Amino acid sequence: MKKDDLHQQGVWNRNALLKKIWRTMKLTGLFMLISFIAISAGTYSQNAHFSFTIENGTLHELFLYLEQNSNFRFAYNKSDLDDMQRVSYKFQNESVEQILDRVLDTEKLSFSVKNEYIIITSKRGIERGPINTYTNQPKSTVSGIVTGFSGASIPGVTVTIKGTGMGTVTDADGKYILKNVPEGAVLVFSFVGMAKQEVPVEGKTTINVTLLDETIGIEEVVAIGYGSIKKKDLTSSVTTVTSKDFNVGTHTNVMQVLQGKVPGLNITKDGNPTGATAVMLRGPSTLRIGEAQQPLYVVDGVPGGILGSLDDIVSIDVLRDASATAIYGSKAANGVIIITTKRGEAGNTKISYNGYVGIETISNKIDMMSADEYRSFLTKNNLSVSPKDEDNAKTNWMDEVTRIGVSHNNNLSIGGGTDKTTYFSSLTYKKVEGIIKETGVNTVSLMANVKQKAMNDRLKIGLTITANMSDSKILPASNTDGASLNGNRDFLLNMIAYLPTVSIKDENGKYNENFDHPGAKNPVALLAQNDANNRNKTILGSAQLQFNILKGLDYELNASYQNSQSNGRTYYGKESSLAQGLNGLAARNAYENEKKLLETFLTYGKMFGQHDLKLLAGYSWQEDVTGNGFQSANKNFVSDQISYNNLGMGSGASGYVVEYGKTAILTLRMISAYARLNYSYAGKYLLQATIRRDGSSAFGKNNQWGSFPSASAGWRISEESFMKNQKVFDNLKLRVGYGISGNSLGFDPLIARLRYGPGGKFYSNGAFITSITPSQNENPDLKWESTGILNVGLDFSVLQGRVSGTIEWYDKVTKDMLFTYAVPASQYYIPSLLANVGEMENKGWEGSISAIPVKSHTLTWNTTFNLSFNDNNLNKLSNENFSLEYQKMAGVGEHGQSGNYVQIVEEGYPIGQFWIWKYAGRNEDGVSQFYTADGALTINPSDKDHFYMGNAQPKVTGGWFNSFAYKNFSLDFLFRGVAGNKILNVTRADLNYPAEATHYNMPKMTRNEPINDDRAHYSSSRYLEKGDYIRLDNLTLAYSFKMDKVPAIKNLKVYSSVNNVFVITGYKGLDPEVYMGGMTPGIDNDNFYPKTRTFIFGVNVDF
Amino acid sequence: MAHYTFRSFVISITSAFFLFAGCTDLDTPVVSELTPDIFPLTEEDFVAAEGPIFTNLSQHYMQGIWFCQECTGDGMVLTANGGNWYDAGRYYNHHHHTWTADQRFIKEAWQCCYSGISKCNSLLPLFQAQAESKFQKMGIAEIRAMRAFYYFLAIDMWGDVPLTTTFGKDAEVGGRVARTTVFEFIEKELKEAIPDLSGATGETTYGRPTKWMAYALLAKLYLNAPVYAGKSDKYNDAVAACDAVINEAQTNKTIDLDADYLKEFYPDNGPKFKDILFPAIYDGNNIKLNYPARYWLHKLLRTKYGLPFTPSGCIRTWPEFYDKFTIDNTDVRQQIWLTGKQYLADGTPIMYTTTNRGYDVRYSGSDPNGKVTYQLEFTKTVEFRNLEKFDTGDDYLGWAQGYRCNKFYPDNTSPSRDQSNDIPVLRYADVLLMKAEAILRGASPTMGHTALSLVNMVRTRAKASQFTSIDLNGLIDERARELCFEGWRRNDLIRFGKWEDQWGVKTDTDVRHRVLPIPQTELDTNPLLTQNPGY
Repeated sequence: MKKDDLHQQGVWNRNALLKKIWRTMKLTGLFMLISFIAISAGTYSQNAHFSFTIENGTLHELFLYLEQNSNFRFAYNKSDLDDMQRVSYKFQNESVEQILDRVLDTEKLSFSVKNEYIIITSKRGIERGPINTYTNQPKSTVSGIVTGFSGASIPGVTVTIKGTGMGTVTDADGKYILKNVPEGAVLVFSFVGMAKQEVPVEGKTTINVTLLDETIGIEEVVAIGYGSIKKKDLTSSVTTVTSKDFNVGTHTNVMQVLQGKVPGLNITKDGNPTGATAVMLRGPSTLRIGEAQQPLYVVDGVPGGILGSLDDIVSIDVLRDASATAIYGSKAANGVIIITTKRGEAGNTKISYNGYVGIETISNKIDMMSADEYRSFLTKNNLSVSPKDEDNAKTNWMDEVTRIGVSHNNNLSIGGGTDKTTYFSSLTYKKVEGIIKETGVNTVSLMANVKQKAMNDRLKIGLTITANMSDSKILPASNTDGASLNGNRDFLLNMIAYLPTVSIKDENGKYNENFDHPGAKNPVALLAQNDANNRNKTILGSAQLQFNILKGLDYELNASYQNSQSNGRTYYGKESSLAQGLNGLAARNAYENEKKLLETFLTYGKMFGQHDLKLLAGYSWQEDVTGNGFQSANKNFVSDQISYNNLGMGSGASGYVVEYGKTAILTLRMISAYARLNYSYAGKYLLQATIRRDGSSAFGKNNQWGSFPSASAGWRISEESFMKNQKVFDNLKLRVGYGISGNSLGFDPLIARLRYGPGGKFYSNGAFITSITPSQNENPDLKWESTGILNVGLDFSVLQGRVSGTIEWYDKVTKDMLFTYAVPASQYYIPSLLANVGEMENKGWEGSISAIPVKSHTLTWNTTFNLSFNDNNLNKLSNENFSLEYQKMAGVGEHGQSGNYVQIVEEGYPIGQFWIWKYAGRNEDGVSQFYTADGALTINPSDKDHFYMGNAQPKVTGGWFNSFAYKNFSLDFLFRGVAGNKILNVTRADLNYPAEATHYNMPKMTRNEPINDDRAHYSSSRYLEKGDYIRLDNLTLAYSFKMDKVPAIKNLKVYSSVNNVFVITGYKGLDPEVYMGGMTPGIDNDNFYPKTRTFIFGVNVDF
Repeated sequence: MAHYTFRSFVISITSAFFLFAGCTDLDTPVVSELTPDIFPLTEEDFVAAEGPIFTNLSQHYMQGIWFCQECTGDGMVLTANGGNWYDAGRYYNHHHHTWTADQRFIKEAWQCCYSGISKCNSLLPLFQAQAESKFQKMGIAEIRAMRAFYYFLAIDMWGDVPLTTTFGKDAEVGGRVARTTVFEFIEKELKEAIPDLSGATGETTYGRPTKWMAYALLAKLYLNAPVYAGKSDKYNDAVAACDAVINEAQTNKTIDLDADYLKEFYPDNGPKFKDILFPAIYDGNNIKLNYPARYWLHKLLRTKYGLPFTPSGCIRTWPEFYDKFTIDNTDVRQQIWLTGKQYLADGTPIMYTTTNRGYDVRYSGSDPNGKVTYQLEFTKTVEFRNLEKFDTGDDYLGWAQGYRCNKFYPDNTSPSRDQSNDIPVLRYADVLLMKAEAILRGASPTMGHTALSLVNMVRTRAKASQFTSIDLNGLIDERARELCFEGWRRNDLIRFGKWEDQWGVKTDTDVRHRVLPIPQTELDTNPLLTQNPGY
């Protein structure tokens, strides 16, 4: 065999091996790699012995070699080394001390080893001149005074000459004197909590400096996905909120800490604590609901990762425009929320306890008649209730089922570390009592992370584990799967509307019930006879590896595995009105979801001259498996005592069919490659470009891959020479960006495929068997929705940072929006198809301004104000293949109103466009009448008689945050509000149904309604109200104790906070904040849950 | 050495990056559902795959189809109680024949037909691609017969309708085809299917098309030929189709008029009833969406029938319709009605206590809160307190207005309002009456039957007295008694020329309302479709 052949064969073999590795590549491979690295790292210990030969090398080269091959670090003045000295040695298994003993000229130099630091000092004397470039410059003495923004001097400020260890500290009057300062030197002024400032000496002998608070500094670092960037270098739209600015409260959703704080971010939630929280950034940009409307959450680099406790968060970055989000590709169209959690700090061991007690009270409830009022109302109208419903009682049902809810949250954390190892762990126990009896949530959260440096600090490995366990007692729902949003409507409606004229129990101790009235159920009995409980567990383990390959070139690998389990349990008692005739019904379900993620990327950064270049290239692989589980049920129980705890105790019944729930195990795989370039020239001209290529198994086979590019540029005008002489702007930056990101969140992983599922039962030869039928059409063209955002922003800071702010304008156009279209049944298995058709646009302005109007020794006032204007419009609902003129939405309303829709989705109108019957007062019989389309009056409006009237989306949303610090006290408060929106108060409409006044209690407003007005409740313009409000959302007073005399305690702070202090609004409903998610925002429907106010008393201690 | 390790480490890191980046496989497994590559393969698969064409019927027969065919006729009216049950005027429109193209039940009836047809069209190629076998041939015949049945419903309700026999991307989405053409298609399909259809009755074929179902449907088609196709020469064909069924009944006794008429409609009915040629099958646990008791019964009857829900009682009959049942008090079919004072099974009166106002909101006496005790009593007349609201009153007096049909006897074994009563779609008694009608309309009598003898066969089973003469008016009334609320009233009234008659408060006489409007959603998706005149 010839040599060439051999060579070729070798190549071939390598290829085969590579192919094999490619094929078998799985996460296991990754974990193996990590362990390999960990073992290798172990060989680079401080006790290392070296064997090498150096010939004719400099000391500098020797030290470099040792640094590269151990984790030792050398600290020395280059000038102390004689560059000309050449050394030649042969080392044989020698320790670093032995080596240094041999090579150093002990006349001139000495060394000391402190951990992995080796300090080389000159023996020429203590009085050392400045080093490096300043060596030959003339020296002078510089003095000055350091003051804060208020003008007060600051003692204790460190003043150093840049690049040297030389420096001093300001005295009690803020003054400093520094001798032997070279003319070309740069002085660095630093003080805890203040932005570091550098001032070139340039021959001056007096340098006075004003230090500014760090928070308004542009040096602050912003997370941008797969890395971070200094705020001053940012070209896209990102808002950062750090934990000290979070809203205080007993939040159920992490995003509530940001409510009112981020321009363009609208966070809404109705009164029901178990209800969904809608988080919408810059208006709706999809016609799908649920997850599809939510931003992408990235927790410590893990998209969709979990969070242990709110206490663990350091900061939240909100990526708002597409030039920021496009790096996350097809999942980022609704914005990206990057959450960074706490990490230990080297040399700073900290034990913290954060705890609070929250007391929740009812702040507002629907004003129903009391028993007495109700009786006189009946009398006045010549009405009477059924004798079954009257036993001279005065029952206030809401009082019977509600309470003051007491919650507490306890968080204990330990963090710290050395230069090599840092760790942080936190344990949280939270117990929340619902305002409704029998409801509540207990949560235990755990988070622990450790980070280890190795290989001469070039390798960093981090491991994190996060776990969450919650146990909720929830309201009994009227369906066993509990999936319906209105599942607990039964309870809530009866809580406010059950007749007050009847006692809770009859004389025999049985709960009073009158099933003659459809839907009427004794609410106290509902709580007593039913039991519903959910348990959820999520655990996330992640590993992070960072390796510095070459100078400027770094490799990072993140792998995580997340597993969540949910267990639902329901029992309806033998007497339960929710399961009449079933003699006890128990149902349980257990489901498991998994998420595997691998991210791997390279970063490279290089500065040359005025150029600063940063590059990123990465790859990500993600697989989610959801719905792995089952449900089962049984009925006919002998005793209620067993509840849902033993399904086998039930007897079923003849012909009883167990509800097995919907088992759909779905696997979603997403694979991506991405790259980013950041370039800046002279710190003035900034450029960022990103590209991501995403593939998803959920997309149709013709469209499995998509690309998402973005580019943005920034101009730091304040850095221009022509700005040097102006005193107004400290910072002025103009940013322009355009990018495209996609929305594939909330995709059913099998959405594009033809699939067969159970299609109902049929009779076949004596048995009922399940038919199998296509459950979904194939759509090979199905793909992500794509959102392009053009964003222009202006950042400014004036008056030496005392006033800073940002103004942004954006135009966000979403194309290929998914909507369900009717398709011919002859061509498709299902006569509807999800297709990429529509186009939606959101345009708007956002402004935020922060100022420090007062700052003195004793009093500081910080204030931040933000306003956002958004204009939403549906541009297109049809294309050449699919057309739809409009879609009626929100078929709401009770009592004979089926078919009454109150909103419309139509081209040229925004989402949440009200399209309702127009109220025209009452006719001579006292019956509500409405306008027909041609202006006539009718009491029977039809589906042709709807009018376009107002829109649910606010024209403007805003927040105003204030923080006062006076001596040891601090007082924070947040106002937030919206204006220019409409709310349809269906809750109020439905209750105002005098025709059923003898079946249900009525709201007070019904007292003035004609009793025969059986159209009073029609969801019409009569109930369309302005939704403007201003709320004092949070008021917090805190006191920090002086701990000088108690060295064991570093910090001790106590605080008290009130949430929902007051609301100023003209809205007649319970609360003008209604759920703004979904496709039918701004409808206040079945909103019976009382609005609450929470008082919190808390303590933070750091040891 | 150390140097070497470091370099190889850098190399492994770098190659790891590219290794991971090489994985671009997006094929994910489907584990909890079936996909086209693995389904249908076996005979059992095909049985399950065929199921949806039957499920589809049950899902709609007592919903969209029933409301379009029965609620529009002279037998029943669904009125509002106060504001409840007004539901955008849909029941008002059904009664007044003023329905619109947007109405829910019309839309659902259309979906029933065309989703059924599409399911058949998509299944046929799967069956045809299988090796020829008895199972395969019978499957094909069943699918073709079911498709013919759905087309029959479609031409009955809408006249000219799209005719599609293929499925998929390349299937034609056509415009409307003349009713006659579809008529001929149905006739051809049924005739071709009959040889391969099963001739067995009972459990094995219950709910599936048999030869006898196909013949009965063919008879129905021929009898309606003047309406559907302008052809009045099909009566002998109708008789022949009926005779095929009657012959089977007489020879093999597998088809018969069951002795107990009332029990035939009870929740436990099923394949043991030889009268039922083809049912829409329901089961309180398994096949839902059939709740006659919810609609017909008064809420105070809940206890009597041991129901797990409170009936709404919004449907009542017109007095004139009820009167058709009282010409002969021995007729067991009269017992389907709940009239007058009501009693529990043991004879205890069903009493209730209310107040004067609770009894009648119009009470204007001095003691509105005065307690009064009454026995539940259905009154014959149906009077509107407010016709515009279609409201017959939201008090005890109002709720008890109108007699109630209890033919589909309440099901106390069901955990919900869904009842297990199978609804006969085609049955032997109908075949006998159809043959009688064909003879009355001019067909030659066969098998020694006369119209009168056939009608009397049906009356005998009902324990009613024998008629001595029969004409078409007598026949349609007999059909009302025998077949009421089984989904044929609209069809009968049109065929007998009585659709434009007045009953209740209806005054519409527009003959264009003999067909329903094409649902607006269908017009929107298929630009080739045109609306029926008059809508």
